[in-house]
Amino acid sequence: MALLNRDDWYDIARDVDWTLKYVDRDEAFPEEWVGAKGIPLEAWEDWDEPFRVSYREYVMVQREKEAGVSAIREAMVRAKAYQQLDDGHKASTQLHMGTTCMVEQMAVTMQSRFSRFAPCARWRSLGAFGMLDEIRHAQLDMRFSHDLLNEDPRFDWCQKAFHTNEWGVLAVRNFFDDVMLNADCVEAALATSLTVEHGFTNIQFVAMASDAMEAGDVNFSSLLSSIQTDEARHAQLGFPTLDVVMKHDPKRAQQILDVSFWRAFRLFQTLTGTSMDYYTPVEKRKMSFKEFMLEWIIKHHERILRDYGLKKPWYWSQFEEALEHGHHAMHIGTWFWRPTLFWKPNAGVSKAERRWLNEKYPSWDDSWGVLWDEIIKNVNDGKMEKTYPETLPALCNITQLPLGSALDRHHLGCHQVVHEGRVYHFDSEVSKWIFELEPERYAGHMNVVDRFIAGQIQPMNLEGGLQWMSITPEVMGDDAYGYAWAQDYKDMRVAA
Amino acid sequence: MALFPIIGRFAGDFVPHLAAVDTEDTFDQIAEKVAVHSVGRRMPENPAADGYEVLLNGDILPGDQRLEELMAETPVLPLQWFEVRWKE
Repeated sequence: MALLNRDDWYDIARDVDWTLKYVDRDEAFPEEWVGAKGIPLEAWEDWDEPFRVSYREYVMVQREKEAGVSAIREAMVRAKAYQQLDDGHKASTQLHMGTTCMVEQMAVTMQSRFSRFAPCARWRSLGAFGMLDEIRHAQLDMRFSHDLLNEDPRFDWCQKAFHTNEWGVLAVRNFFDDVMLNADCVEAALATSLTVEHGFTNIQFVAMASDAMEAGDVNFSSLLSSIQTDEARHAQLGFPTLDVVMKHDPKRAQQILDVSFWRAFRLFQTLTGTSMDYYTPVEKRKMSFKEFMLEWIIKHHERILRDYGLKKPWYWSQFEEALEHGHHAMHIGTWFWRPTLFWKPNAGVSKAERRWLNEKYPSWDDSWGVLWDEIIKNVNDGKMEKTYPETLPALCNITQLPLGSALDRHHLGCHQVVHEGRVYHFDSEVSKWIFELEPERYAGHMNVVDRFIAGQIQPMNLEGGLQWMSITPEVMGDDAYGYAWAQDYKDMRVAA
Repeated sequence: MALFPIIGRFAGDFVPHLAAVDTEDTFDQIAEKVAVHSVGRRMPENPAADGYEVLLNGDILPGDQRLEELMAETPVLPLQWFEVRWKE
């Protein structure tokens, strides 16, 4: 007997639902997980997925993708290709694995929440595919990293990082705990599927795969490309959700997008900005992080806002200023506090790299070069102790990133709130605004400074901090090139 | 006498730091405890300067005033932001 065509049965299958007899709907679908917030049940009948897939098709396609990644992986491992890669690029892969793998695993929980608690049956059906996607992504990252454990113990952090208190990982985890694990279905779809996945990571993975290929890392490139094809599909779950929310509560949609865009951008600056503008070998760079953002992320976000009748966030001019500076701040900060990292950052300020930076960011020398000059002088004078920190940077109570890391030294200001007798600090007016929207949501989140003051870190010094963060000597961050770049400035005044 | 955490930003540097000061410290001493994390690390020395000065909400604090004396006049919470700059 011939099988029916998919379109003959799809609409019935995707809407299969329970008629509840023994429990109230509100008990089966608690509001705190659904997050409809007054949007009537029948409104979700308009929720229409932008892609159609059956389980049979899904398995067939995924199997082919798996076979493709696997073939390349086996060939690259046999060829010991990793050993040929640039040390700066290696830092990018380690940073990616440590900060991404468990986010994929967290996304399994988010998608499984969609498949159980989303307000309509068709969304719940698609959540199941999203869940399978995310299981695959986490497992692919683990398998890739496991292959490379013999090359570098830092790949152990693919699995380990989110079980430590490493400060950067805590910042990433805080955001995704909030918008993936703690958020209801509606907020998670808008903040994570639409803003983070569709707006940032989907495009980021394309760029990173391209950069990895350029750097000769065929294996990493293949992995990223394979994951990206899943992301491109399931990230679209945000659009029908936005459609429904815009009809009933556009103010809420605007707020969720504005909050999540800023928070995702700040992490994106930290993880991708540093990789693109500092870790990628200068001769391999195709565009700067700022150019990439303007060309791909911002145009795309503006188009979504326009298409759905949303406004640009009120903080757009501050965002544009942050785009010029924030990732440079995160870079000099992570390099200076390098013993607290599980990867080896490339300083990226040799003369050739500095020329590139000044070409792409004309105010770079004035904002950042002068600070690097002092570091370079200390390296070349043998005063290495002056190139290390002796305390913690002050941290933001929203992004958990250092105060000052959203802009540059000329724009650094105090953004502080006293809430219930306690001082909270923010890296920007935007993060302060986010806190003040829902202080009860964020007030209990402890950043590393809060934990230090609460006595969780003992002894209260760098050694105690490193131990608390699970940083061990074999993974502790140091300059990727052993400070060889500083030789460019030997025997000359660096500020000249 | 008690340890007291503040946020100290040295003018010109890109990041403020957590600094552990003592309530008996004068603001000249507090300035030193903040500056040590920036000057000579990312900020060059300034031979033309006559030491440092501390500011709270834009007001210069007397160098010989103790933190506890300020706290007796006005509430100062842990993690209060203080600005430190060259005295010129």
